[in-house]
Amino acid sequence: MITQEKYRTTVKELLANGTIKMAIGYRPGSTPDRRRPLFIRTSEEADQLVLDSTCITNLSGYLVTEGLLSDEKQVGIFLRPEGIRSINILAAEYQLNVDQIVIFGFDSTGREVRPLQGRNAGDFSALLTEIKENPPLTSKEPLLERVEKMNAKERFDFWQEEFSRCIKCYACRQACPMCYCRRCIVDSNQPQWINTSSHTLGNFEWNVVRAFHLSGRCVQCGNCDRACPVNIPLRLINQRMAKEVVDGFDHFAGLSPTQEPVLASFKKDDTETFIL
Amino acid sequence: MTRILFSDKLDNCVAKWRSAGMTVIGPVQGESLSSYAAVEKAGDLSFGMVLPDRSLKELFFPQTEPMLRYTIKKNEIETADFTPPAAPRIIFGARPCDASGLAIDDPLFGWDYKDEYWFQRRNESVIVTIACTKADDFCMCTSLKQAPDCTKGSDVLLRPLDNNRGWVVEELTDRGREAFTLISEHIKESDETALPTVEVPEKFNLDTCVAWLQNPDNFDSKFWKEISMRCIGCASCTYLCPTCHCFDIQDEGDTYSGIRRKNWDSCSFALFTMHTSGHNPRATQSARWRQRIMHKFNYFPGKFSVNSCSGCGRCSRQCPVDMGITETLQEISKL
Ligand code: SF4
Ligand code: SF4
Ligand code: SF4
Ligand code: SF4
Repeated sequence: MITQEKYRTTVKELLANGTIKMAIGYRPGSTPDRRRPLFIRTSEEADQLVLDSTCITNLSGYLVTEGLLSDEKQVGIFLRPEGIRSINILAAEYQLNVDQIVIFGFDSTGREVRPLQGRNAGDFSALLTEIKENPPLTSKEPLLERVEKMNAKERFDFWQEEFSRCIKCYACRQACPMCYCRRCIVDSNQPQWINTSSHTLGNFEWNVVRAFHLSGRCVQCGNCDRACPVNIPLRLINQRMAKEVVDGFDHFAGLSPTQEPVLASFKKDDTETFIL
Repeated sequence: MTRILFSDKLDNCVAKWRSAGMTVIGPVQGESLSSYAAVEKAGDLSFGMVLPDRSLKELFFPQTEPMLRYTIKKNEIETADFTPPAAPRIIFGARPCDASGLAIDDPLFGWDYKDEYWFQRRNESVIVTIACTKADDFCMCTSLKQAPDCTKGSDVLLRPLDNNRGWVVEELTDRGREAFTLISEHIKESDETALPTVEVPEKFNLDTCVAWLQNPDNFDSKFWKEISMRCIGCASCTYLCPTCHCFDIQDEGDTYSGIRRKNWDSCSFALFTMHTSGHNPRATQSARWRQRIMHKFNYFPGKFSVNSCSGCGRCSRQCPVDMGITETLQEISKL
């Protein structure tokens, strides 16, 4: 409550003195446990702001909305640590100018919400390094352990079963802050790289392509997983790919706004003969 | 006197229908998702849920469907049609909003061109609907002038007795009567009465909304941008909707042979109206959201005299950013 009130005041001040033109936060949703994204442009809108433990959506994807940042004005945004990592990746991939982003950081334990110290993406490097060293226990999930114990055949069958429910609504892509491509590979039809039909093969192609494209970029915010209307445990794929990238390249995505993107960099002395 | 089908006889009925060559389909609770699916015995059906996560439409209009196979030879093109297999079936335990969704789409699929895929399945399906005795925060059939015991699109309506003991049977069509003649030995005359249907509060005044939508001045209202700012443009609402019916036709294969398929499509996608030139008449998400609302409550009823919404609430229940038809119409009715 106190954090929420303080942030309301801060947002009002920054809007009034012209530092930011808008703040992106949360407001009450259609049921007590739901929150809706809120775009704050006025003091009245700031009064609708809620900040509590149910604010879980990673809002950073809204920052790359066409035209939002093109006037070079600053925009404020409420972010958990994963969201801050997304901002860093977007900056590192030249999708936004990190100086235009004012971060209202927060995190929660149980029902308790606390603010994070800092306003600019660079202010959070100590916190993010700490998360890299000591990943939260939430990543230890029973389903992931179950899948890890499977042999290749069982694992293939497991995912085939899960993907059989996919309806290619692309909610996972639309909800993901890292899926900002103006034209996704599945929307390209000259040539048609990927089947658009949501049959077994098409669903596999889609989910595997997304998994690869997200490796070393996913921050495990869970947006995709929560958005999927047929409840495919997408988080498992991305958690696993993130682990591969940490183990193989010591690359923890989104550590800083200048971090070299793992899929888009190479070294002359690389011993591998192939780059992705 | 009422006619009752007791639940403990349902397994015999399922067996009877199956031995008569019908596939029995009904609400099934999967490990992580509920849907209408084929079952072999009554015990696999699940009647406790408000409504299945996935709608009934996919049994009539699947997410992807082969239409024809083509082979391009030197001097000719060979094609072979795929027609849906003849398969009589009974859907036991449809929800009224799902059954009426089918009736809403009938005129659309039979208007300028009769969609044989849709109508073959429609003609081969008996829809046995169970009236609702519970609802959740998102149910809004009454706002659409429908009801928890709406009979639109149904061949038989069942009203639950207390303690899941069975249902009061009301046959509505010849097709329904025929299917229930097969199991007549299990239907008992009794003086029991059914549970009352659930009270679903009205969430908005439909007539007010429709009048606002029909006013051409409101097409360019700034309301559209405000209400849809948070829409991320996925197709979750479209694909779970029992009445959304848009599709795309795609050829899959190489230059010489392949399969032409009919796939679900959504007006929420930017690509939906993108021209080859790169111009997009619905260039923004707000234009796309306006289309969704206008289509359902202005254009569709203008052509077919029925709204393209049965009030199931799935679009709002499932939206990743907590939008949906309900909120938009509630806001319009306040304007
Ligand atoms: S892939 Fe999923 S979990 Fe990872 S950043 Fe995107 S939305 Fe978040
Ligand atoms: S959100 Fe789920 S159903 Fe939709 S495309 Fe992604 S994996 Fe498939
Ligand atoms: S309203 Fe919700 S479900 Fe529908 S397209 Fe927008 S974000 Fe997706
Ligand atoms: S528009 Fe929404 S409430 Fe209406 S039928 Fe479709 S999913 Fe259900």
